[in-house]
Amino acid sequence: MTRILLSDKLDNCVARWRKAGLTVIGPVKKETSSSYATVEKAADFDFGIVLPDRSIKGLFFPQTEPMMGYTIKKQDIATNDFAPPTEKRIIFGARSCDASGLAIDDPLFGWDYKDDFWFQRRNETVIVTIACTKADDFCMCTSLKLAPDSTKGSDVLLRPLQNNKGWLVEELTDRGREAFKEIADLLLDGSEQAAPLAVVPEKFNLDACVAWLKNPENFDSTFWKEISMRCIGCGSCTFLCPTCHCFDFQDEGDTYSGIRRKNWDSCSFSLFTMHTSGHNPRSTQSARWRQRIMHKFNYFPGKFSVNSCSGCGRCTRQCPVDMGITETLQAISTLKP
Amino acid sequence: MSIQEQYKKRVRELLSSGAVKMVIGYQAGTTADRRRPLFIRTPEEAEKLVLDSACIANLSGYLVTEGLLSDEKSVGIFLRPDGIRSINILAAEAQLNPEQVVILGFDGNDKEVTALQGEKARDFSAIIASIKEHAPEAPRNPQLEQIEKMSPKERFAFWQAEFSRCIKCYACRQACPMCYCRRCIVDSNQPQWVNTSSHTLGNLEWNVVRAFHLSGRCVGCGNCDRACPVNIPLRLINAKMAGEVLGAFDHFAGMSETQEPVLASFKKDDSETFIL
Ligand code: SF4
Ligand code: SF4
Ligand code: SF4
Ligand code: SF4
Repeated sequence: MTRILLSDKLDNCVARWRKAGLTVIGPVKKETSSSYATVEKAADFDFGIVLPDRSIKGLFFPQTEPMMGYTIKKQDIATNDFAPPTEKRIIFGARSCDASGLAIDDPLFGWDYKDDFWFQRRNETVIVTIACTKADDFCMCTSLKLAPDSTKGSDVLLRPLQNNKGWLVEELTDRGREAFKEIADLLLDGSEQAAPLAVVPEKFNLDACVAWLKNPENFDSTFWKEISMRCIGCGSCTFLCPTCHCFDFQDEGDTYSGIRRKNWDSCSFSLFTMHTSGHNPRSTQSARWRQRIMHKFNYFPGKFSVNSCSGCGRCTRQCPVDMGITETLQAISTLKP
Repeated sequence: MSIQEQYKKRVRELLSSGAVKMVIGYQAGTTADRRRPLFIRTPEEAEKLVLDSACIANLSGYLVTEGLLSDEKSVGIFLRPDGIRSINILAAEAQLNPEQVVILGFDGNDKEVTALQGEKARDFSAIIASIKEHAPEAPRNPQLEQIEKMSPKERFAFWQAEFSRCIKCYACRQACPMCYCRRCIVDSNQPQWVNTSSHTLGNLEWNVVRAFHLSGRCVGCGNCDRACPVNIPLRLINAKMAGEVLGAFDHFAGMSETQEPVLASFKKDDSETFIL
């Protein structure tokens, strides 16, 4: 016997959670673009999207965030800190790759400095993931040793029912159990079958890739130039990626007052490593693409024992010149380590 | 022989005779409907070439890759008329020497492509002139007409909503062959001319800067629109600005290698309706 949430009860659930003070967020398609956005009723969700265009990252690490304000007067300088938001949220209908992406970045944001903005949001947000029953040509979670029903980073996992009328509920964490208490009486006991999971073929051999990347001789391989020649350095891959986390600080304002902001940045940009002197240690696009791959599959796992990729496939799906992690790792896995 | 096979043969000839050091074309992509840029450096590599109606990206931006043309050798490139127009602009703005660009021209619709005769950008001037000729009566985007009918307030709200999605990745800029500056004004932080943050004001500023900077230079290839990861309909802005420039200054971008940029030139009979 398992607990079941029927789709026709979802409207009630949304109302309950909202009444309990939670902002309800889920996959929404507006005009031509999809994202995780705030919903007011069940009809606002679009569960038909394989994966929202924009990843879940922005809900925890927004593209721009005020950190500090300053005012400078004749005799004194005053600063004020912006506090992390305390809003309580529930994300209903996250994808496994997106939820995993958050868990992948947790050690990064809590390593030598604990990023309050990230963790405050992480602690105040319940993540209800819906296992995928369909995938597209770009999905590759299985190549990263994850799956359409991975529980990593999720507080509750829902499995769509075979009859398409709702979901099997698996509560995974206390945070998840707490949120589902609000709707406990709306759940049913049942023995319905879960729909089959999406079939996501493995696209490359991750271990072979990692072995090749770890060999220092391959750092200067001509492979990097060949594979990345068409990259235009647009940064879409990094901005859409649920695990890419680089940022920059920018002061906006004038000599007398302004705001210091934390903005997304990208290793694909030539400016990213540009020194004040004009020297750029990563002066070519191939050096930048190598950095992105090395960081994800060599340096990051070297430090945090986990690859910085959850296989969402966005980097290939949205690349204007059809590059991406998939092609590069497919090519690497055929090379001699 | 299909156009693809004809052009493969031509690419092999160009490379084996040493007429060009490289040909920039298209190859198959991740999915059946995708094409990837291809850099062909040996006659054998020409085998990978694909040329069909799915080849839509304007590849001319690759020509201004740092150092590519500095050895004075020629490069071949597959271009549609919009791409050829961008070669003219790049030449007119002193970004490349058009003598070094060997054009493998083609045009077509969403079903098939046909070859265009010519080699140097100037060989295609008749085709470009006829596109300009027909520009005023070309079918207009229905969404653009809708937007034009809106009140200024509604129109502002429409664009605010669209730009609210912008994440300031600048993919639109990187994908545009006309955006070749090594250091864009928005990347400058001493002084910071434009807000770098992706908030309401910053997004609006960026998109307005882009629209104006491409006025009279945009060739309507659609690279920016296709690159935008959040699908902001940039094509509407480009089309609007191109129409304005054509109407007010009779300027059609990329007519010739010597055409003066509309925003950087002055004619005595220029319309001055906005100056009191
Ligand atoms: S790999 Fe593609 S998406 Fe990423 S920076 Fe290069 S061109 Fe842009
Ligand atoms: S690297 Fe690509 S596939 Fe991996 S998580 Fe980022 S966007 Fe997704
Ligand atoms: S490509 Fe789209 S999201 Fe990126 S900066 Fe341009 S308009 Fe904004
Ligand atoms: S602005 Fe867009 S449509 Fe115009 S030339 Fe640049 S990429 Fe092409």
